[in-house]
Amino acid sequence: MAPPAEVLAVRGLSKTFPGVRALDDVELTVHAGEVHALIGENGAGKSTLIKLLTGVYRPDAGRITFQGREVSFGTPLEAQKAGISTIYQEVNLIPLLSVARNLFLGREPRTRLGLLDFARMHREADEILSTYGVRVDVRQSLRTLGVGAQQMVALARAVATDARVVVMDEPTSSLEPREVETLFSVIRRLRDQGIAVIYVSHRLDELYAVCSKVTVLRDGRRVHHGDLADLDRIDLVSTMLGRELGEVREEGQTKFSGDHQIADEQPVLSARELSARHRLHGVSLDVRPGEVVGLGGLLGSGRTETAKAISGSLQLSSGTVTVAGVPLRGGSTPAAIRAGVSLLPEDRKSEGIVPGLSVRENIALAVLPRLSRFGLVSESRVDAIVDTFMERLRIKASSPHQKVGELSGGNQQKVLLARWLAMNPKVLLLDEPTRGIDVGAKAEVQKLVDELAADGLGVLLISSDLEELIEGSDRVVVLKDGAVVGELTGDEVTEDRLMRTIAGETPPRDTDEEAVTHG
Amino acid sequence: MQRTTHRPHFLARSVAVALATAVALTATACAKSEDDASDKKQSASSAAGAEQKAVTPKPGSKTCTIDAYGAKKLDLKGATVGFSQSEKEANPFRIAETQSLKDEAQKRGVKLLTANAQSQFSKQITDVQDLLAKGADLLVVAPLNSDGWDPVLQAAAAKKVPIVTIDRKINAEACKDYVSFIASDFVEQGRRAADQMIEATGGKGEVAILLGAAGNNVTTERTKGFKERVAEKAPGLKVVAEQTGDFAREKGQQVTEQLIQSNPGIKGVYAENDEMGLGAVAALKGAGKKAGDIKIVTVDGTRNAVQGIVDGWISGVVESNPRFGPLAFETLDTFTRGEPVAQDIIIEDGTYNADNAKQDIGKAF
Amino acid sequence: MAEAALRTAPPDRARLLQWLQTYGVYAGVALLLVVNTVITPHFLSAENFRTQAVQVAPVVIVALGMALVIGTEGVDLSVGAVMALAASVTALYLGYGLLPALLAVALFAAGVGFANGALVAFVGVQPIVATLALMVGGRGLALVLLPQLEDLRNPQLASLGSGDVLGVPYLILIAAVLALLVAFVVRRTTFGRQLLAIGDSRPAAELAGLPVRRVLIVVYVVCALLAAVAGVLATARLQASDPTSLGNLMELSAITAVVVGGTPLTGGRVNIAGTVAGAVLIQLLTATLIKHDLPPSWTQIAQAVVIVCAVYAARGRGKR
Repeated sequence: MAPPAEVLAVRGLSKTFPGVRALDDVELTVHAGEVHALIGENGAGKSTLIKLLTGVYRPDAGRITFQGREVSFGTPLEAQKAGISTIYQEVNLIPLLSVARNLFLGREPRTRLGLLDFARMHREADEILSTYGVRVDVRQSLRTLGVGAQQMVALARAVATDARVVVMDEPTSSLEPREVETLFSVIRRLRDQGIAVIYVSHRLDELYAVCSKVTVLRDGRRVHHGDLADLDRIDLVSTMLGRELGEVREEGQTKFSGDHQIADEQPVLSARELSARHRLHGVSLDVRPGEVVGLGGLLGSGRTETAKAISGSLQLSSGTVTVAGVPLRGGSTPAAIRAGVSLLPEDRKSEGIVPGLSVRENIALAVLPRLSRFGLVSESRVDAIVDTFMERLRIKASSPHQKVGELSGGNQQKVLLARWLAMNPKVLLLDEPTRGIDVGAKAEVQKLVDELAADGLGVLLISSDLEELIEGSDRVVVLKDGAVVGELTGDEVTEDRLMRTIAGETPPRDTDEEAVTHG
Repeated sequence: MQRTTHRPHFLARSVAVALATAVALTATACAKSEDDASDKKQSASSAAGAEQKAVTPKPGSKTCTIDAYGAKKLDLKGATVGFSQSEKEANPFRIAETQSLKDEAQKRGVKLLTANAQSQFSKQITDVQDLLAKGADLLVVAPLNSDGWDPVLQAAAAKKVPIVTIDRKINAEACKDYVSFIASDFVEQGRRAADQMIEATGGKGEVAILLGAAGNNVTTERTKGFKERVAEKAPGLKVVAEQTGDFAREKGQQVTEQLIQSNPGIKGVYAENDEMGLGAVAALKGAGKKAGDIKIVTVDGTRNAVQGIVDGWISGVVESNPRFGPLAFETLDTFTRGEPVAQDIIIEDGTYNADNAKQDIGKAF
Repeated sequence: MAEAALRTAPPDRARLLQWLQTYGVYAGVALLLVVNTVITPHFLSAENFRTQAVQVAPVVIVALGMALVIGTEGVDLSVGAVMALAASVTALYLGYGLLPALLAVALFAAGVGFANGALVAFVGVQPIVATLALMVGGRGLALVLLPQLEDLRNPQLASLGSGDVLGVPYLILIAAVLALLVAFVVRRTTFGRQLLAIGDSRPAAELAGLPVRRVLIVVYVVCALLAAVAGVLATARLQASDPTSLGNLMELSAITAVVVGGTPLTGGRVNIAGTVAGAVLIQLLTATLIKHDLPPSWTQIAQAVVIVCAVYAARGRGKR
């Protein structure tokens, strides 16, 4: 058998932005039918490389050869037409158009009169999507779908455009585990059809599950390439981080210590029978000072809703929240915050940071009224708080005046933590605190959560990363369809038990039949 | 989905309307303006000696008869006349115009139906159709636009209702689609303003023109007449600036302030309506000028402008007569009796200057 | 780490655009001053600068409020209507004296502002729609209250419009004080910071526990009050209340000044100095064209060009 053809080759690619050498003499070779992992910490140059490949940016130097010809794409559309499709982290389709329209955007089937052939479009869309495990009414507008299903539509669209290379930039960041499985089967099918996939992800499990080759970038340079099988996890992480092997091994997978000293048996947070229309059905849980309580469950099981309900940003139809013995007025974020509840929201970019404001303003945002007299801000007191937390959380920014939107995900998350810690909270609700941030920052955030619990805070931790949930929590409350289905304590907190509790009585085979309709 | 997105709009609108009504009711209840004590607000249009006369038609001008038009004879007394006004009665001209028609109808014992399009052309079209539906035998229309009248004209033709248009012409065939058009001659107004300016400045020096709103035939014609007459009678009078004041007082003030700054030699300002002229007066006062330093000539003949002549700030005002009532009804009367009427009827405009301003101020509207 | 901040433009152009957005408006003002000094007769005179400043003062005052509203990612189309309303209410209550009349004006304006703010903050109507309703309703109300222009002879009102302190007209002083006050509020108060945060990311501001609704309502009330101040000053200067035409298209002038001054329409940032300069730029542009007797259509074209330039400069620096 002849070796598979080289479909995409990048030689000596460089790109400089004001003040940053984003890519420096990078090489990348991708063969047909290969799933190629492209990894590196945030800022290593992955996104820049992808954007150069797909015509978003123009390179300063270097050549891109695609299917034997040197190419220079002016726009993503040109790249797409040539055969390089991209699926970004955030779904970039048109939410108001129907699912079918999105799928066929720009290459709609026409009738003989040149009008859109809706009947055919809907029929074909239905067929295509069903192979991706998505069973929805394709006439609905896209925004009625869950994020996972939207991602599948984006994927189907990318593949349907006769792509030779499909670039996936963190495609699983908003998918449920079973959606991930569907995605993987699609990727394997693409591979078998001879299509090359460039796969970018922070999740090591996923890389080992589907990728055969790997290219590691660090600080804009290629530091490793070859077969993924030749590199074990620890080697991979150390290559990415550029740190000593021993150091990484010692640190383990997460930074959590595991056990915490429960400071007081009296719960600092007590939620009773929380119900919200269609979302929550009588969720009750307690968090004691110094305790980290994990909230497990699949996407859409009500984890985020529970956190939002406790923090007052989701209107409750019934139920009570008590903080340190004092009942909260429901549905008021300011009241919850005054009582000492702080929420680190799941969607960091749109609900957490205020991207256009500086690090300083973001940290001081919630605490500002306390640093003011008669509505006038005391700049010196703001500076003091900002300095303290930037140092304590090791927030890396060029100055306190740098815009938060320009920081890496990990540093943005730390800024948000600083914002809440400045409020001296009693309860911290962390919704996916380490999603989409690099390994180093992830470890720091995890360590910080331990420290805060040790200081006597009550922490509610939501994470799709099972390892993080298990190692970080003292107890795990498991939700399903908006209700508590189980609780694991002490030695029960293991991956196996957790999986089984999440899965409940239903064997996993049956759930596959259930289409991915809601995220 | 669509229904829900519309709800806020509806809500916004109804809230606004409710708010406006409530506020209007409470606000006027205890209002006290400066003039409450005085009795300044007498009915302007009923002032004596101000009725409208037609300029004698030029020999050979086209006429129209009821037979040629294809309508039936009727007695104006006992007939119903519909009047469609174009703009809100918010400025003196429109107020005097509508009032004049109402007064004349009352005087002649004719039933008058009125409608106001509030400056919306689509509303004017429905207004006229409504008037026809309500049984108007004759129509007087002050058109907002010149074009787009086909649906109305067809409806009127079907009912054989004669139409007289006033102050603006419509683009249609006279004596077929409508009977007559009655208006001032704006070019002539410009010429007469030039006469006043030449007299005030002695025919020498620099003058500025405050133009009306751009793209308006009144503006172009008043400018054309003025420049023609100046070129012909006083070549020594130089137009150094032509800037628009949009027929508004504040804009007239601002533009005049700029012009007297950069052209200190200006001797006169020709304002194409009274409001801009009064704005120019405010600008001159603000710049520390004395009455008469710079001669101002305006067109329209509102009471405020004529008062300006009395006070010495304005040199002359050319009237643009808004009192179409007598002439419009006379035309309809003649026409319905079966006698010929002119297709284009020019109304006679008066003039105010230092000699007659004091005694004639009662005629101003 | 830097990836999020990177743009498609090559470094030189990106830097040029950034410079243009921050300083372009000042460069424009400087350029117009230089050009006029050379080509316009009698330009370099105290009298001339006084005229320009007096004329621009009401626009500046309205634009200050507009800048705050735009900072919250909103827009207020009702400012012109509020000016007209202020004019008619002034005329209506001047019989009681100037001060009571001003109080009545403030009450009306605050009412309109509150209605705007409540529609936006509580009902959730888009700002452009909410304020459009008040734009139509406000002017309608102004005309109901005072159907036609009325001359005003109150001596205090007249001196407010044309009086001065040491040669500096009240109008200019008031505009300057208000500009400093608004700049101070934006920079140094919790209210100012919260306003920017809400404009940049309303969901984030809500989750951070900011009093989002209260801030929005106050912003729209302040904007309406500033527009009312401008309306009273313009009326005082004219010595006549003209609700039909006062403030016509003012919303556009104000938005132009704000945008040209480097405040993005996407909210989260307010540039007060730039806004003032933006208003001055448009004023000088208009003055230049009038003084050289160019056709009025040129003014509109020139304004359009300035707006396009401003938007182009802002393009590369949208949020996120």
